[in-house]
Amino acid sequence: MPTQTAFIIASFTAPQQIGTSPYSLLWLLPLVAAIAVVYKATKLPTITAGVFLKEVAVLFGSIIVFIAVTALVLCVLAWLIT
Amino acid sequence: MLRISKENYIPSLLIVALSGWLVPGAGHFILEEKKRAIIIFVTIVITFLTGLYVGSIGVIDPVGAWPWYLAQIMNSPAVVVIGHLTAAGTYPVYGRPNEIGQIYTSIAGLLNLLCIINAVYLAHLRRAETTGE
Repeated sequence: MPTQTAFIIASFTAPQQIGTSPYSLLWLLPLVAAIAVVYKATKLPTITAGVFLKEVAVLFGSIIVFIAVTALVLCVLAWLIT
Repeated sequence: MLRISKENYIPSLLIVALSGWLVPGAGHFILEEKKRAIIIFVTIVITFLTGLYVGSIGVIDPVGAWPWYLAQIMNSPAVVVIGHLTAAGTYPVYGRPNEIGQIYTSIAGLLNLLCIINAVYLAHLRRAETTGE
């Protein structure tokens, strides 16, 4: 047990290996999910599983679509300018 | 449940805010909003720990990255303890792990700030409902 505890603590003292590849942008997905969950937890008048999950999914999708559209617009602008 | 009356209005709001800062979701918990409290606690703790796991505790840097630290400290007083450990620069972290770790831990802190404000507002509404103001 002490070994396992030490291993768990040690894993928080050295950074993980994450390259600067386009795939590293996928790290935004869990963060967007966390934002959607907490925001809806504070905003819904009553929390029921079905409504909560639906609202979170809609907000999560909206944020991702907005990010994708923004990225596309920026790509087009960069292509036009350069 | 926390009883909010005219006499203990300000102390009650302070208790709610302080509880929410000490433990994410505790502000809602003492207002008997248990489902919200559990959702908030689990989500914020997982987001914060993910940031620490990816970037190590070195992402909490009160000296070299103090603007991020201001957001991170909203998670819990535990961040102050971690900041004390890392202030000497013994856990260096660079590049993408540093960015992701800082963003995750800071967003978790800002989400907790949102929850603290929401819990205080709920406490205020409870008082308005009970006193009819």
